[in-house]
Amino acid sequence: MHWRHVLKVVGVLTIALACTMIIPLLVGVYYHDRSVLPFGMALAASLAGGTALFLAGRTDRTEFVSQREGMAIVALGWTVAGVFGALPFYFEGECPTFVDALFESVSGFTTTGASVLTDIEAVSRGLLLWRSLIQWLGGMGIIVLGIAILPFLGVGGMQLYKAEVPTPVPDKLQPRIRDTAMILWKVYALITAAEVVALWAGGMSLYDAVNHAMTTLPTGGFSTKNASVAQFGSLYFDLVISFFMVLAGINFSLHYQMLRGQTLAFWRDSECRFFLGAVLVLTLVVSFDIWGSIYATIGESLRYGLFQVVSIVTTTGYATADYERWPAMSQLILLLCMFLGASAGSTGGGMKCLRIMLCFKFCYKELFSLIHPRAVTHVKIAGKGVPDDVLRSVLGFLALYMGLFGLCSVLLAGMGVDMTTAFGAVAATLGNIGPGFGMVGPVENYALIPGLGKWLLIWCMLLGRLEIYTLIILLVPEFYRK
Amino acid sequence: MKVIIIGAGEVGFHIASHLSRENKNVIVVDRNPEALRRVSDNLDVQVLQGSGSSPVVLEEAGIGSAEIMLAVTNSDEANLVACLAADIISPSTKKLARLRNADYDDYHETFREKAPHIDTVINPDIEVVKTIYRMMKVPGAVDVGEFADGRIMFVGLYLDEHSPLNHVKLIDLPAKLKGVRPLIAAIMRDEELIIPRGRDRLMAGDLVYYITAREQLQETLAVFGKQEPPLKRVLIIGGGRIGYRLAAVLESQPIACKIIERNSEKCDRLAERLNKAVVLHGDGSDQGLLAEENVGGMDAVVTLTNDEETNIIASLLARRMGIRKCITRISKFSYFPLMSTIGIDQVVSPRLSAINSILQHVRRGKVLSAMSIKGEQAEILEAMAMATSAIVSKPLRNVGVPRGALVAAVIRKERIIIPSGDTVIEPDDRIIIVARREAIQQVEKILAVKLEFF
Repeated sequence: MHWRHVLKVVGVLTIALACTMIIPLLVGVYYHDRSVLPFGMALAASLAGGTALFLAGRTDRTEFVSQREGMAIVALGWTVAGVFGALPFYFEGECPTFVDALFESVSGFTTTGASVLTDIEAVSRGLLLWRSLIQWLGGMGIIVLGIAILPFLGVGGMQLYKAEVPTPVPDKLQPRIRDTAMILWKVYALITAAEVVALWAGGMSLYDAVNHAMTTLPTGGFSTKNASVAQFGSLYFDLVISFFMVLAGINFSLHYQMLRGQTLAFWRDSECRFFLGAVLVLTLVVSFDIWGSIYATIGESLRYGLFQVVSIVTTTGYATADYERWPAMSQLILLLCMFLGASAGSTGGGMKCLRIMLCFKFCYKELFSLIHPRAVTHVKIAGKGVPDDVLRSVLGFLALYMGLFGLCSVLLAGMGVDMTTAFGAVAATLGNIGPGFGMVGPVENYALIPGLGKWLLIWCMLLGRLEIYTLIILLVPEFYRK
Repeated sequence: MKVIIIGAGEVGFHIASHLSRENKNVIVVDRNPEALRRVSDNLDVQVLQGSGSSPVVLEEAGIGSAEIMLAVTNSDEANLVACLAADIISPSTKKLARLRNADYDDYHETFREKAPHIDTVINPDIEVVKTIYRMMKVPGAVDVGEFADGRIMFVGLYLDEHSPLNHVKLIDLPAKLKGVRPLIAAIMRDEELIIPRGRDRLMAGDLVYYITAREQLQETLAVFGKQEPPLKRVLIIGGGRIGYRLAAVLESQPIACKIIERNSEKCDRLAERLNKAVVLHGDGSDQGLLAEENVGGMDAVVTLTNDEETNIIASLLARRMGIRKCITRISKFSYFPLMSTIGIDQVVSPRLSAINSILQHVRRGKVLSAMSIKGEQAEILEAMAMATSAIVSKPLRNVGVPRGALVAAVIRKERIIIPSGDTVIEPDDRIIIVARREAIQQVEKILAVKLEFF
């Protein structure tokens, strides 16, 4: 294990991150708000920190990055990004303790969207933009961005890419990893720009449009308003944002194929069909459930049903209604949506549709072989057999996910939080959604969770974003053996 | 530039590794998922599972936009079919096939001319035999290359403790040697490649690479303290394809040759096809047999069996019996760094030869030959200076030769010029460039024609 190499790469990433702080700094200067000084300090601190890390590892000359180092770089990189990203929140005094600032920052980078800020509209504009910007950076992945713009990461880039984007079946769009990363970021930026235009054209202020676009595409869910998207009360905004949330929940390589003129790309991909089908069916069921009991007209039920289902299943976490007052069935459906998540290769979190599909197909295969004990069958996706090791890792992932969900819920409950909240908060952070149930529902926030509980949830958010293996491997003693 | 490689074996892997480090877009196709996993875990290239001769797979790999396709699977037939399928889909892609069966030897040119679907045929065995032969002829050399149709020799040798050039600064070389001027192109010291300047010193233990005219070869070797009487007796261990070829070449020279082969059927066939060589049935690592056949009296031993461990052991045995020149065939690249530590300096590898001959076809511009030197840290290119490329018609110091690259020699008609900063390269000169791996891309750029006419 070349620790110096890890430090060097993380140092460079930190320096790059510090440079992005210039954007909110300039916005702060433009609006003459109080965020200028805190950003100046945070920028200086991050530059110093990044340089120190880089200098600590500068003597290293390794070219080859093993899978182990890839995981260490990604895990450490995300942690360090969370810490330095928290500095502006801490320096500006919005968060009374550092753990609050760290929670907000990690919630941003992991595109969770869980907040500890009670009065969002009182926060300076520079800081709110930073909050949205870190979600945008975290959405497609800071390491993937690093691979795209820092040439020296090209060697061994594949190991980093696999550690940050651990899809069951990785697809490389271009022979070289750097080109792949570049394409993904371009597609991502293009769709974001499209949403800015769509929202702006509907009458949202440019500032709000940019912020919301930057938190929709990463399926983040930070809003600049206290009541989230509900504050606008506009059907047009609801629909535009729902549309872009669905786009963000689809594998980005399909977007690329679509932009290259393969119009049937979405339809040909079985996972995408599954995802869109799930959104459609769940919306209809939930809308029917709330029709009459909560909303008088079918139109209203559909509008709120659609937005809530899309927001949760893509793991975005915007709200236009308080679903905690909905009937139990709808609430349970939304809770299960938190586990389902979006497509693999999208910016969404959760377990991912592909894994659930593979799991179901595997179960069916087991049943089939009970009836035909001598049958030779394969689990197939798009007509191709899925290798056994992929299936094994998917089942292992699902087991780990549920196990960690159980463990963390028990731990959180042990810190004096009620049962609904414990389940809701862990499901919402592990799946990178944001709003959960109980004390952390769509109209409340995470401010009242005890300090130790926040540490636990920070860990859950990182686990969810890096899809468990990359982070949990750090707890395995074998990882450190020479 | 997009390159599709069919076959993820040792040759495919190393070419992919070479090209991906030069920032080319490489796609590797193979049927075996295990071989592909090794590629995708270690290299920044795209992999595709499937048969390289299937048009569906080739289409999926994007053959239409590929500049070159290299068919280097283990099977000659698969390589031929892959080229055929590729040609049907994408005639403009340059296609290269590796064919190892000796039956094809005489038809390389015919294939190139008459078979429209294959642009180049390479057979690494031929190259290996040439390399072995050159190594035998040049005493002390661990690496020998030829450029400009053999008029220029490129020699790599270890500098001995008692060599007259030990501790000499390069700048003092001309004063020390009157007339003879070996041009030192590169030095390998502790696995590190140095492109030397005037103030660098030669040290004992260095692997020195130099360029010289063929006529001056013996004199330059004398300067380095390496001299040997001409070869008279050679022992070959291993009578496979390469062993047979080498024996056949030696037969045409006044060199007595013995060949040891373990398999009696192979021995029969060898005895049938060879006239002067003595074919011996036995194990090449059997000390008794070696002693019996008077190995100590041989001028050189070449170990060429398919089992590299046997080759290493046989060479070490021969060394102990007093043979100074042992040429060993090694295939596993991971063994290379070990070889000089255990005292085996002269190593040949059919795979390395395959890579070298493929590389020269992949290079842009008018590259006539290319060879990569120990550890693949650098390459030596021989290229034709094209009238419209950046390198011609101005003094070299204004050309912007990239860092880590050196224009080592210029050949103008019959003359060999050792260039200085003021040398102006003329169109149709041949130039020999030593370039580190990182610099190759830029070197290609200065060699390439500015407006690409084709």
